[in-house]
Amino acid sequence: MKPPRFDYHAPTSLDEALSLLGRYGGDAKLLAGGQSLMPLLNFRLSRPAALIDLNRIPALAYIKEADGQVRFGAMTRQRAVEFSPVVQARLPLLQEATRWVGHLPIRTRGTIGGSIAHADPSAEYPAVLAALEGQVVVRGPRGERTLRPEQLFRTYLTTSLEADEILTEVRLPGMPAGAGYAFEEFARRHGDFAIIGIAAMVIVEGRRCRTARLATAGAGPVPVRLRAAEEILEKDGLGDAAIDAAAQSAGELVGPDSDIHASADYRRHLTRVLTARALRRALARAGGR
Amino acid sequence: MIGAPLRRREDLRFLTGQARYVADLEVPRMLHAAFLRSPHAHARLVGIDAAPARSAPGVAACLTGEELHRHVRPLRAPSRMKDYRPTDFPALALGKVRHAGEAVAAVVAESRYAAEDALDLIEVEYAPLPAVAEAPAAMAEGSPLVHEDAGSNVLLSRAFAQGDVETAFRGAAAVVGDRFRFHRHAGVAIENRACLADFDAGRGALTLWTSTQIPGIVRDALAELLALPAQSVRVVAPDVGGGFGVKTVLYPEEIAVAVLARRLGQPVKWVGDRREDLLSSTQAWDEIIDAELALDAEGAIRGLRARVVADVGAYSIYPWTASIEVIQVVSFLPGPYRVPHYRAEAFGVATNKAPMGPYRGVGRPVAVFVMEALLDRAARRLGLDPLEVRRRNVIRSGELPYRSPSGIVWDSGSFAECLERAAEVAGYAGLRQEQERARAAGRRLGIGLGSYVELTGVGSAIPVSPGADIATGTEGATVRMEPGGGVTAIFGLACHGQGHETALAQVVAAELGVKVDDVRVLQGDTGLSPHGTGTYASRSAVLGGGAAILAARAVRDKALAIAAHQLEASAGDLEIAAGVIGVRGVPDRALTLAQVTAAAYAGTKRLPKGMEPGLEATRFYDPYLGTASNATHLAVVEVDPSTCAVRVLRYVVVEDCGRIINPLIVEGQAIGGVVQGIGAALLEELVYAADGQLLTATLMDYLVPTAGDVPAIEVHHVERPSPTTLGGFKGVGEGGTIGAPAAVANAVADALAPLGIEITELPVTGERLFRLLAARR
Ligand SMILES: Cc1cc2nc3c(=O)[nH]c(=O)nc-3n(C[C@H](O)[C@H](O)[C@H](O)COP(=O)(O)OP(=O)(O)OC[C@H]3O[C@@H](n4cnc5c(N)ncnc54)[C@H](O)[C@@H]3O)c2cc1C
Repeated sequence: MKPPRFDYHAPTSLDEALSLLGRYGGDAKLLAGGQSLMPLLNFRLSRPAALIDLNRIPALAYIKEADGQVRFGAMTRQRAVEFSPVVQARLPLLQEATRWVGHLPIRTRGTIGGSIAHADPSAEYPAVLAALEGQVVVRGPRGERTLRPEQLFRTYLTTSLEADEILTEVRLPGMPAGAGYAFEEFARRHGDFAIIGIAAMVIVEGRRCRTARLATAGAGPVPVRLRAAEEILEKDGLGDAAIDAAAQSAGELVGPDSDIHASADYRRHLTRVLTARALRRALARAGGR
Repeated sequence: MIGAPLRRREDLRFLTGQARYVADLEVPRMLHAAFLRSPHAHARLVGIDAAPARSAPGVAACLTGEELHRHVRPLRAPSRMKDYRPTDFPALALGKVRHAGEAVAAVVAESRYAAEDALDLIEVEYAPLPAVAEAPAAMAEGSPLVHEDAGSNVLLSRAFAQGDVETAFRGAAAVVGDRFRFHRHAGVAIENRACLADFDAGRGALTLWTSTQIPGIVRDALAELLALPAQSVRVVAPDVGGGFGVKTVLYPEEIAVAVLARRLGQPVKWVGDRREDLLSSTQAWDEIIDAELALDAEGAIRGLRARVVADVGAYSIYPWTASIEVIQVVSFLPGPYRVPHYRAEAFGVATNKAPMGPYRGVGRPVAVFVMEALLDRAARRLGLDPLEVRRRNVIRSGELPYRSPSGIVWDSGSFAECLERAAEVAGYAGLRQEQERARAAGRRLGIGLGSYVELTGVGSAIPVSPGADIATGTEGATVRMEPGGGVTAIFGLACHGQGHETALAQVVAAELGVKVDDVRVLQGDTGLSPHGTGTYASRSAVLGGGAAILAARAVRDKALAIAAHQLEASAGDLEIAAGVIGVRGVPDRALTLAQVTAAAYAGTKRLPKGMEPGLEATRFYDPYLGTASNATHLAVVEVDPSTCAVRVLRYVVVEDCGRIINPLIVEGQAIGGVVQGIGAALLEELVYAADGQLLTATLMDYLVPTAGDVPAIEVHHVERPSPTTLGGFKGVGEGGTIGAPAAVANAVADALAPLGIEITELPVTGERLFRLLAARR
């Protein structure tokens, strides 16, 4: 479990990192928190010619508010997200989801950008990005572009980022005051990647559900936005029957795979169970404000 | 001193990163080995081209199986069992590979990095053969053979019978039975296996530092394999980060680094990584058990019958052989209960999986799971409470010694007392009420019991592994007084986390009348210690403790004789306390042990006439039969039928390990064992694909319980000193793992009993529960 030989660079600016990436012509890997990349290197499953370490670029780690969004520099640690007052106030769903990401030492190193760029479909952040309709900002030699989750996530561990591009920023629209939310997850042990995770947000107006947002982790090759289930709630409200119908629909919308930890049937079942639970908890919170 | 809850003195160095494991050791001119491992579960080796690896930068050597085995023959574990087919275990594959992860070649280089780079360059041509990854298939006619020369994949079989089982079943009021399955399990010591060999050509002597539980056995076996005199081989187990039985085996890597170091004239170190550990360390259990229990209308057991098929993997391990696990399942199946009629047969079947070996509990966790599950089924069938069925069948203290139907004699114990105490401390009746209330509120709580009795501290009368042709019945201790009055106590044992440095110091200090802090315990070094085999099979407190008592007693007697001479008193009037020898009732006539020791080493002039100088003794102890150790476990779980999650809410252990040397250590052993048992019941499973590929080769896929997955574990003691061992000690290292799978499985079954669900397969994962529940939906 030792990685093959590679060059190592620790640029201190984004431009320098970009030019290094260009120089290796797709044969270099960016090193963020290393919590996913290092095991891949040690197993020799990834054999890049070079590592470009982003940890010495201070300009890539920040949390700030602009235009109703909360913007995260890609190198912001998951632990910083967890304890950010801005996140607590504006993105409580993200804060709740963060507690499900690995364990404390992992969150201390792991980054929001790395988590999203790595595109593990069982990870929590991609699900939150999908549920909240966030965006990522990507920089490359051809300039900057922003991508929505459905444009970003292609399949397992694969995004539409080009080999010479760097994910620089994650943007999440601040949740409206009074929005109810919940992140429900089932993992075999606390701290493991989700077997199924459900990110939910509801905005309630009187007896109506003005907006419902539901997205999955672990239910397929990319995070799945459960639009048809949301529509049931937006049409029929958040009564028991509507929640059950939405949960039922959620189970039909996902196309999970089987692996040694859970069969597709079990994952589908959990999608239904956790969707209902997430919605009930979100509703209770929305009611509480 | 005996019985004092002293903190373990070794923990400070473990917890502050000052321990010295094999990976920490550096020897001048040391090289690093890496092993090429087979990607196939079963394949013929057509050709190996090692030339590109040999010429890679920094590489000193690259060795294939054929080359290695010109210097050393393959291992072969002998057995005295009648129906046993011996097979070879080459250190590097010869002719074919028999499991994925088997070592095929070794590279030695200036760094582990360079060695792994060179592994990439070795060209191996494999001709894949059909693999067999399940024992039933391997037993079937026409199955591919793992060892052609054995003529069959059934490497061993054995039957037990007592009484007339047919008649017992024919007249029974109730017969309950099932097919049980206990899946494969990994030991997962925190420290992976590692070894470092240094051959001193000038002296013709080999030193092997290795992360092992059995330095004595490794020494004797290596000396023979390498044709070196035993006195020229020194095996050292330095600090060892856990073993759990997995490190009680002589491994291919130990042989390979020894041969390589000798050939290269340079020390060679190998530190296994986690993937290698999960692929190639011995694994546990993997058994299918068909068992039936017959009872009369009052719930008394009439008879028990069972057939156990074990998947022993690709190789029969040295020294225990492939029989170690499966024979123990049938030996211990009747448990602490009266079983008048018993018949059982056991089969050990080779497959293309990693070799099976001993793991904490060996056979007993499986046996107890099955027996306790049968008792719960019987209770449900007869409309009795599970506790009540056990009360009606448990062997009472008045019936001891008791000969079990498999022939083991329980010398002593407290089977009924532990059962009652567990019910009492857990508040069993109250738990049943709580369960009813929870049920009414839609929650599914379950209560599970698991009781066991096992044989510990086994002496020379019985092999610790059935049939194994190796002597494991004795241990020696050297106790030596040092200038200043301190004590060195040296053992052939090899602690790997059990706290021997504290517990054995307590035993020596108590016998000698010195302070515990004045005793230093050395072990795990065949160059220092009297002959011994190591630490396994819950034997160290009994055998090491016994040897310590004998040796310390001899030193004490001599110290008293010297003091009597100097004080001009009779030895009978002297007493030792806190390192001072005084004349009873005459406070001003005293000598310190330091003074006595100085006299002993000063020589004849200051000693009684004819006394040999020096103040040390070496004594050996053989407990001959061994002694029973028993416990009852009680688990309370909650099952969420929607997510299929199981949470252990409460866990109670009431155990009897005889005279307790240090309750903190006993509790630590029980707790650690229970955590592993909970893992076995709920999480841990080595999953192999049908083609023999291991699908759980990382700790992201092989799941051990973390602190968040277990409740606080309550440990209570019933202290019945053993009547048959010196000091009254009984073994306790394995018990936690023995009781826990049964208690947790029964608790889950109890929670789901209203749905008609029985638990027959462990671990009972979310997926398995989902399928069981889906079948009822
Ligand atoms: C034991 C364990 C448990 C874990 N459990 C969870 C869990 O439950 N949920 C969860 O979500 N995660 C979990 N993780 C993963 C953890 O969250 C990782 O930190 C995360 O997936 C990757 O982030 P990182 O910063 O470590 O990225 P790295 O490992 O450094 O990089 C991951 C990949 O992303 C690429 N990359 C990184 N940054 C950028 C960037 N700015 N632009 C473009 N590409 C980039 C890298 O090149 C690499 O390919 C766990 C990890 C471990 C070790």
